[in-house]
Amino acid sequence: MSKLTNPEHKTKGTIDSITAQVIWGALENIAIEMGHKLTRMSYSSIIRESEDFGAALLDPDCNQLCESVFSTPLQLGPIPGYVRGIKRVFAERGEEFQPGDVIMHNSPYYGASHGPDVAFCVPVFDGSKLIGFSVTTAHHLDIGALVPGSCGIVDAVDAYAEGLQFKAIKVYDRGIKNQQMWQFIADNIRASEMVLGDMEAQISASRTGAERYLELVREQGLETILAASEYLMDYSEKMLRSEIERLPDGSYSAEGFVDGFENDPDPTKRDLKIVVSAKVQGGDIYVDFTGSSPQIPDRPVNMPFEGTVAIAVYLVLRSILLDTETHEYIPQNSGLTRPIHIHAPLGSICNPTFPAPTIARFCPGNIVASTLMHALSQAAPQQISAGVGNLKVVAYSGLVQGKYWVYIDITEGSYGGRSCKDGLDCVDTLYANTRNNPIEDIESHYPLRVLRYEMREDSMGPGTWRGGAGSIREVMFLSSGHASVEGDGHRHAPWGVFGGSPGSCGDLILNPQSEIRKLPAMISNLSLRAGDTLRTVSPCGGGYGDPAKRDPAAVLNDVIDGVVSRATAVRDYKVVITDQNTIDEEATHDLRHCG
Amino acid sequence: MILVGIDVGGTFTDIILADTVKRKLAIHKLPTTAPDPSEGVLLGILGVCSREGIGPGQVDYLFHGTTVATNAMLEHKGARTGMITTEGYRDILHIGRHQRPQNYSIMQDIPWQTRPLVQRRHRKTVSERVVPPHGEVLVALNELEVRARIRELKAEGVEAIAVCFLFSYLNPEHEKRVCALVAEEFPEAFVTSSAEISPQFREFERFTTACMNAFLGPKVKKFVLGLTERLEGIGLKGDVHIMTSNGGVATARTIAEKPVYSLLSGLAAGVLGGEWVGRRAGRENLITFDVGGTSADIGIVTSQGITEASARETRIAGFPVMVPMIDVHTIGAGGGSIAYVDPGGAFRVGPRSAGSVPGPACYGKGGEEPTVTDANVVLGRLDEHHFLGGEMPIYPQKAFEAVAKLAGHLGLELYETAEGICTILASNMANAIRSRTVQKGHDPRQFSLIAFGGAGPMSAIDVAHHLRIPEVIVPLYPGITSAFGLLTTDLKYDFVKTELLISTQNPGSRLIRDMRELEAAARDQLLKDGLPENRIRFLRGLDLRYVGQGYELRIPITENDFDGGECDRIWSAFHDRHRVEYDHCFPKNPIEVVNLRVTGLGVMPRLPESFERNPATKLNDAWLRTGETHFRVKGSLQRLRTEFFDRSRIPAGATIAGPAVFFQKDTTTVLPPEWNAHADEWGHLVISRNL
Repeated sequence: MSKLTNPEHKTKGTIDSITAQVIWGALENIAIEMGHKLTRMSYSSIIRESEDFGAALLDPDCNQLCESVFSTPLQLGPIPGYVRGIKRVFAERGEEFQPGDVIMHNSPYYGASHGPDVAFCVPVFDGSKLIGFSVTTAHHLDIGALVPGSCGIVDAVDAYAEGLQFKAIKVYDRGIKNQQMWQFIADNIRASEMVLGDMEAQISASRTGAERYLELVREQGLETILAASEYLMDYSEKMLRSEIERLPDGSYSAEGFVDGFENDPDPTKRDLKIVVSAKVQGGDIYVDFTGSSPQIPDRPVNMPFEGTVAIAVYLVLRSILLDTETHEYIPQNSGLTRPIHIHAPLGSICNPTFPAPTIARFCPGNIVASTLMHALSQAAPQQISAGVGNLKVVAYSGLVQGKYWVYIDITEGSYGGRSCKDGLDCVDTLYANTRNNPIEDIESHYPLRVLRYEMREDSMGPGTWRGGAGSIREVMFLSSGHASVEGDGHRHAPWGVFGGSPGSCGDLILNPQSEIRKLPAMISNLSLRAGDTLRTVSPCGGGYGDPAKRDPAAVLNDVIDGVVSRATAVRDYKVVITDQNTIDEEATHDLRHCG
Repeated sequence: MILVGIDVGGTFTDIILADTVKRKLAIHKLPTTAPDPSEGVLLGILGVCSREGIGPGQVDYLFHGTTVATNAMLEHKGARTGMITTEGYRDILHIGRHQRPQNYSIMQDIPWQTRPLVQRRHRKTVSERVVPPHGEVLVALNELEVRARIRELKAEGVEAIAVCFLFSYLNPEHEKRVCALVAEEFPEAFVTSSAEISPQFREFERFTTACMNAFLGPKVKKFVLGLTERLEGIGLKGDVHIMTSNGGVATARTIAEKPVYSLLSGLAAGVLGGEWVGRRAGRENLITFDVGGTSADIGIVTSQGITEASARETRIAGFPVMVPMIDVHTIGAGGGSIAYVDPGGAFRVGPRSAGSVPGPACYGKGGEEPTVTDANVVLGRLDEHHFLGGEMPIYPQKAFEAVAKLAGHLGLELYETAEGICTILASNMANAIRSRTVQKGHDPRQFSLIAFGGAGPMSAIDVAHHLRIPEVIVPLYPGITSAFGLLTTDLKYDFVKTELLISTQNPGSRLIRDMRELEAAARDQLLKDGLPENRIRFLRGLDLRYVGQGYELRIPITENDFDGGECDRIWSAFHDRHRVEYDHCFPKNPIEVVNLRVTGLGVMPRLPESFERNPATKLNDAWLRTGETHFRVKGSLQRLRTEFFDRSRIPAGATIAGPAVFFQKDTTTVLPPEWNAHADEWGHLVISRNL
């Protein structure tokens, strides 16, 4: 742990607070430019529309200096871990960074988030001196796993079944492109033109970041940049610590469950437990996952400790304690991880050992985040939301004239109620923050038709502040193909808090207009014919506070808007709404006070 | 010919009257009237006319920049609006792109969920469905259902209705039919359809734009038609033209139907004013830099003209807007920006501003926090006798007290703190400019910075220094550059059609057909506005991307690019542009046409090259006094002997070495050491580094 400097310090090393501000702006600008370039050049909708990518600059010690603010936290957070992983591999193999190198990396046991999130790392040199790293990560459509697509690979039995493993591979060695490697990739992944196009975009964006960083170093001097970076990291750290200090010291815990494989005969593959205990001690917080389920050796819901579990923890703590809605805009850098100490027993689902598969770790990671928030609800009741609805990721695929098409659809979840605010409806939750793909784009480019995309009605967790609504989305195949799904939230509804009720579970239904076949949340490569329709239903957030204390006018509004029924208004909120859409004051009073 | 420009801002209404024959310019400034800004407009016109001894009837053209639509969006005060949409998609407007605006926030709000343009109760669905690739009708429109929904909306008391169907950009017939049915069932309603406002793909953005148009419709229509009527009442015969977000003007009647086009009316005028100044000086690449008390507005002009915002980046009050807009980037940094130490000990400037009330500490109106203006007072760059032409008293002592207090918190020396405020402000501004230049592949070192607004010329040279911009131009009348901009443009209507076509499938003939169609529509609009055929021009462009990409690049085209239906010249222009933008192109990959664009221009009368003015003949006559100011020279802060001048009296051709300060009624220009200012023949100050 690094030492804290005096909070009233004026200058640190050779840096003054004015120069630090100037350098912060310049660094963040570089990361944003990298992100822009990546999205604009990339081919697959998962990068350009969903924005499932990250871009950051690191110092030579792998401290993150800045990140692209327009992308998703699950891609941004792990970047330092990727480069630490690359360094570990290099140390083991006796290799070194060279000017002109571009290194490709996706090994979850060496810092990566999971296999499909591939990093391209450009070491930045000033002459022969290594001065930092410029890195992009992005989710790729296909990585050569056993079934098409890079999500919903829920049957992978080990790390080898998840697709190609790139352990710190130099795709450019001192500026020379490794054509053989490139050809090998092209031959071993589906939709390779698109994926390779995306990878080229990543390399280009990483190189741009490296150039800009070098320009900045030459302009300001490396000493100044590093001193400013240290200053900025200390600053972010101090901001987080002062918020942790405001929490009452103590230990806070909660349990959450991941559906896992609902139809699997083996009970150890269902209802996977996440146990979180968060100990607040002064300006530090210790998060412990002891008690969580053991790793599943042959199903890919294990979470890489560094690339997923730690990121979920950092994300939740930053969002609760330094919420950008209520706090100063502060630099997102490695200083924010210093007050946070995480432990998960080796061999548990939160810290698996090689070669346990990890590719479908997305949903469990969001449960880690949600459960930690649950634990902290006791310490920071005004800063949390009630239980959050988890997402589903669906890979649609098919063959047209011998060529694969793959489309990855990330569906949305919802947030629970909050202090004085209802939950957010139909959004990506916690460590995910992607964008959906326009229906008009999907139908123009894939043999799919989106038949419905609406909010769920009458299912949100009741509370003084109610949970947000999940979504209903129906997608029909226009020609035969396959669907793989990686989802959660069919068996465990988002939790209510402070007297609020739980939200509701999600669902997955094949052909909702005809056979109405209920499917589990985890599906591998289901064969579908033209006309088959898949309905995804996302969970609704939990309620916050006693629903009988909800403002009757708010209940009336919900009834008029058709998101709460009159029956629910009576049953859960104790509010009687007349057929003329007015509040029956007398009946409501009786229900609330005499009932 | 007599042209009048009226720029209504938050504080002031600026009026400019130009006589193009006599080359005379008259300027008038009065407080903006609330709640009805047209009062001030009327008073202003009458004022300037009587001063110049002309009757309102002699005004040939009137150009107006308005913030009525902008403010209605910012304050979320529009009409009760209804929506008719395709069955199965009631909540497109509410779900949006399912992305949270902030990555790290539990307590955030989502604008379209907390402040919906159309409440869910007023979002009605009907059966109909159009599908790609060519807008085939999969489900016919159920007209009985439509009539029933319209009657419901009428009964619910909505004032405006937006009709929004999926894929209407491919086939607008269903939307058109519903609009016709609204006209039958509910003729009083303001009605708008998504394809009519913006026939482009991406349903959330298109629907939102249409709903915004409906939301703004009744209010803007009332304002615009009311203004026209009152202007006619005072004898004004000339057409009223309103500045649009794309940097053109439209007739009042058009804006009454499509108010969403006027969202950036006021901001666009500033960029145009800056462009006019830069072009007069013969410069090609310009950064327009309009700084007031609370914000700085930045626009980019290249040889291609004023840069347009991409559909992705165009937002107002957090909502996406899918209409062509000038790319104006606004940041919270201006003369009133407050400097402070945040809880983590960081030295910050803005975005919070002291505004005009209480204003900077030196205004003596109760403001105690140090602002950028106060820092300039401390550094000796502003003085109590000449601030805003001496009309506004300032109290230097209060500025010193406020900055000294901050210096105490920071443990810095007084002047270091004051200079630090200016440096951090300039750095924030420089970063905003970088995001519009470097990030888009433009090198700021090849641009001139056109600095105006009340606070632009005070910070511009510091900003130029940060970005290595070689030259700053301060216009003759920095405070009314926006009003000026109103007089420099043409009628401009953008017509767009989404056409997903592939380069390998000979799209030429289809494109030519569509282009003719759009041209006809643009011509109709301009003829309707009373333009004669010989003043109508067209600009054409294609939005292209490689198949599979999600972002398009705009490629200007001409009729000649279609070589007998072949488009090779267009494709190679795209490869070139892609390489410029991303250092990369893929000449073997197929290209996808996304949008076809035609802009119809109705050429308006031009301002003369220069105006009469009355400067001193000798620089000495413009000299006011010698004083002392603080500037950083070669890393250390120094106290320097500095000359102060009356800007309006500087003779053409004069060159002045920094440090120097130029006072004029509406702004102060600060010239640091190592920079020279040269007054050109039109009275602009051209400031460049002293080599």
